[in-house]
Amino acid sequence: MRKIAVIAAWEYLERVKSRFFLVSLILMPLIMISLGILPAFLIGGETQTRKVIAVADLTGVLLPRFANQLTKGQMAGENHPSYIIRPLDVAATSNEEAVRVEGDQLVVSGEVDGFCILKESKKGRYTIEFRSASLHEEPDKGDLENALKSILLEDTLISLGVPPSSLEWLNESVMVEMVILSSKEGRVEETNLKEFLQVFFSAYVFLMMLFFMILSSGQLLVRSVVEEKANRIVEILVSACTPTQLMTGKMVGLSCLGFTQMLVWSAVALIMSSVLSLEFIVHEQLLLLLLYFVLGYLFYASIFIAVGSPVTTEQEAQQVTGYLVIFLVIPLVLTVPAIQDPGAEWISILSYIPLLTPTMMGLRLALGSPALSEILTTVAIMLVSIYISMLVAGRIFRIAILSTGKRPTMRELISWVRTGA
Amino acid sequence: MIEALHLRKTFIRSVAVDDVSFQLRKGEILGLIGPNGAGKTTTIRIVLNILKPDAGEVLYEGNPFSEQSRNLFGYLPEERGLYRKSRVLDTITYFGCLRGMRKPFAREQALKWLESFDLARESNRKIEELSKGNQQKLQFIVAVVHDPWLVVLDEPFSGLDPLNQVTMQEIVAGLRNAGKAVILSTHQMDYAEKLSDAICLMHEGKVLLRGTVPELRKRYGTNTVRMEFSGDGSVLATIPGIKKVILSQSGAECELADGETTGRILGILSQKLDLRKFELVEPTLNSIFLDVVHKKNSPQSSGRVH
Repeated sequence: MRKIAVIAAWEYLERVKSRFFLVSLILMPLIMISLGILPAFLIGGETQTRKVIAVADLTGVLLPRFANQLTKGQMAGENHPSYIIRPLDVAATSNEEAVRVEGDQLVVSGEVDGFCILKESKKGRYTIEFRSASLHEEPDKGDLENALKSILLEDTLISLGVPPSSLEWLNESVMVEMVILSSKEGRVEETNLKEFLQVFFSAYVFLMMLFFMILSSGQLLVRSVVEEKANRIVEILVSACTPTQLMTGKMVGLSCLGFTQMLVWSAVALIMSSVLSLEFIVHEQLLLLLLYFVLGYLFYASIFIAVGSPVTTEQEAQQVTGYLVIFLVIPLVLTVPAIQDPGAEWISILSYIPLLTPTMMGLRLALGSPALSEILTTVAIMLVSIYISMLVAGRIFRIAILSTGKRPTMRELISWVRTGA
Repeated sequence: MIEALHLRKTFIRSVAVDDVSFQLRKGEILGLIGPNGAGKTTTIRIVLNILKPDAGEVLYEGNPFSEQSRNLFGYLPEERGLYRKSRVLDTITYFGCLRGMRKPFAREQALKWLESFDLARESNRKIEELSKGNQQKLQFIVAVVHDPWLVVLDEPFSGLDPLNQVTMQEIVAGLRNAGKAVILSTHQMDYAEKLSDAICLMHEGKVLLRGTVPELRKRYGTNTVRMEFSGDGSVLATIPGIKKVILSQSGAECELADGETTGRILGILSQKLDLRKFELVEPTLNSIFLDVVHKKNSPQSSGRVH
């Protein structure tokens, strides 16, 4: 036990003191932030897109009210662009063709994003022709249609004798609110969109942390084994302690390193979130989340050891960790559909695959609430898998650390695991 | 005392160590010699419990291996290397603690050793900044800082310049004087010969010879004579009883046939040549080794087509 502590302390201190650790401490949150927040900013940026639209009103009467309708606040909801209307003087060139040429010119030169022609094709029938350089520039078809329709509706209502004050009421009478439902211990709970985004953010941060921690300390683990094998320190080590002590010590030391990183990052995240006035959801299930985190970490660490310890050179180590990264990316990729629909059955099923359990359950804990039975089963599955993978990793490690030269074949590896010798 | 009893270890395709036995007392150096691939390193690894033998056992002061035994081992492996980015004193302290020392004591001892090697100034430098010779000394300190009673040195002289080789010889001899049991594994026979109290010669996983150096000399040194003379040395080859002749500028070295005595040969030669010198050759460990290996291989090699 004491030897494990000695090894763990050494592995921890030697790395905490290193420059590499400091750099990764700063670099990783930056990457995390750019990966986690930038897309939101980019998407968020688009919701505030301004579109400049030139409008030629061939009817000669609709333009002011049409512009007013389009630019009205309630039109520019979450996903709508806000419009800036640039009227074209139709009086000068009452010829429709000439107007079209002028407007097209504005579009092509990039002065406006689009060009819109309003005309009354028949008595009481209107058409809106929209011309732009790309489909992307197209305003929401509904926006244009609604703007014109509400003008016509107003006219009709006024002609029927409805007072203008009622018209205002009509415009403001309906508000749409989005509510996201989830089931929690049999009850249905509601979250509004803002809360949902915060939960999403928390879940995303959780996954990112898990991802980077496993990746960085897994890589460190493989590297340190390869280094000790290459310079034969490992021979001194295993004459001083058992391979199991060595492996455990390394894992404990590097885990502490990972948790130090996490602590620092959490502190950074907390400060950041208060600066950005984003609220972190401190879940009542935070402890469970942490439990899955630790379980996932241990499981992946043992996989890293099993795969990494037979490796003999730095290059091979990089290759191997490269393959493992793919494994790690799978749950990360699955995150997006999982967040959109955390109640889906396929997520429940994936929660029972040990490689995915920590991420999937982490998500589900953050987004909804899995049943107690599910939590117990998945934790049990993780414990069993960790036991098995540690056993396998230990057997491979014990032999692999003394073998140099060529990489062992699959058959040799299997025989190591089976016989333990 | 450490006793290795009938150790055997097989790997997937080969037998690395086959029925190896030896014993070693405190205050003695055992020279484990043999060519590369003879099974020396595997033997060492079994003694240090890095590998488990398939058969046989090692007794430490009469007891089988226990986890506590580990703290009594010191090991200098053949291929050297330490944590390049770590600091000298920290590294020694770490290995000391790993062998059961308390940290402050390990630090104190580490400093003492560094001073005795004139390395105290380097104690806060990174290992990669040290010269190669100093790195080797450092590695040696790592092997002995915890005051082990069994010190295993695998090829301690390789990679050292002549000056440092001499220093290392003194250090190894110093370990014996300090009452340690030392296993010195090397393929450099001359060092083994100079330093070892007992020799264990290995070849292809087996112990070919075992004994003290004088014993071995006595056993293998009686049939070669060296002489200096004036006259025609070619007569030597005609004398029955002389098996092999190597002529040189001023004399010759002759290997006598089995059962031949030096006295009879001296009698014959003194009539035919003007002898100035006639002596029994003390065979070097190297020649004994070559001799033994050759003898062992010859029955097989005679069957081969060359």
